[in-house]
Amino acid sequence: MENIKLKLARVEKGMSQQNLADLVGATRQTIGLIEKGKYNPSLNLCVKIAKTLDRTLNDLFWYEDKK
Amino acid sequence: MDERNKQIALKVIAVMYFLTIISMQGIVLYRQFALGQEIGDFEDIAIIMTINSIFLISALLYFGALPVRKLKVKSILLYYLTFVFLGSVFTYAKYNIFQSPGLSFEQLFNKLKIISAIIGLLMGFWILLSFLGKKRIDKELE
Repeated sequence: MENIKLKLARVEKGMSQQNLADLVGATRQTIGLIEKGKYNPSLNLCVKIAKTLDRTLNDLFWYEDKK
Repeated sequence: MDERNKQIALKVIAVMYFLTIISMQGIVLYRQFALGQEIGDFEDIAIIMTINSIFLISALLYFGALPVRKLKVKSILLYYLTFVFLGSVFTYAKYNIFQSPGLSFEQLFNKLKIISAIIGLLMGFWILLSFLGKKRIDKELE
């Protein structure tokens, strides 16, 4: 499932995928794949991304089940 | 290299390792049964494969890749007997089905004694490693 929340938070911060990748010690491809929902990052990487974007893990990675 | 690259690299290495071992096993079987070569002719490959397998299982047990719960005497004994049985079947097949003339009952029994001892030693070593591996993780949790 595509991670729209992450993409929005990154764009709101005015960052490119490459900027974010450099700040969290990942590659641009990895960030792209996380946003596309094609790679499940480790909790460590999630925390790094959340801190870099000044968000919580819930803001970026939590989804409520649709009823 | 980030975590995704490492994960992919590890997967590729694992698959390539598996293919290498399978290929080597195929070569050993081909040379032994299709070409009819003596074991001495491919002893080097056999030794590499044996050492490799022993180290692989040891590392998997020590680093906690194989789930080991409580070590029960009953299950250890069952594993031991299964391995001895399989070893005996392979030995019998190797000497008395694929080779002619086969070994006498006494010679087979002597081989069985060696197989039982080697399997016993190996299992003892692996049990020790599982125990040490568990202890290491428990220490990290303290």
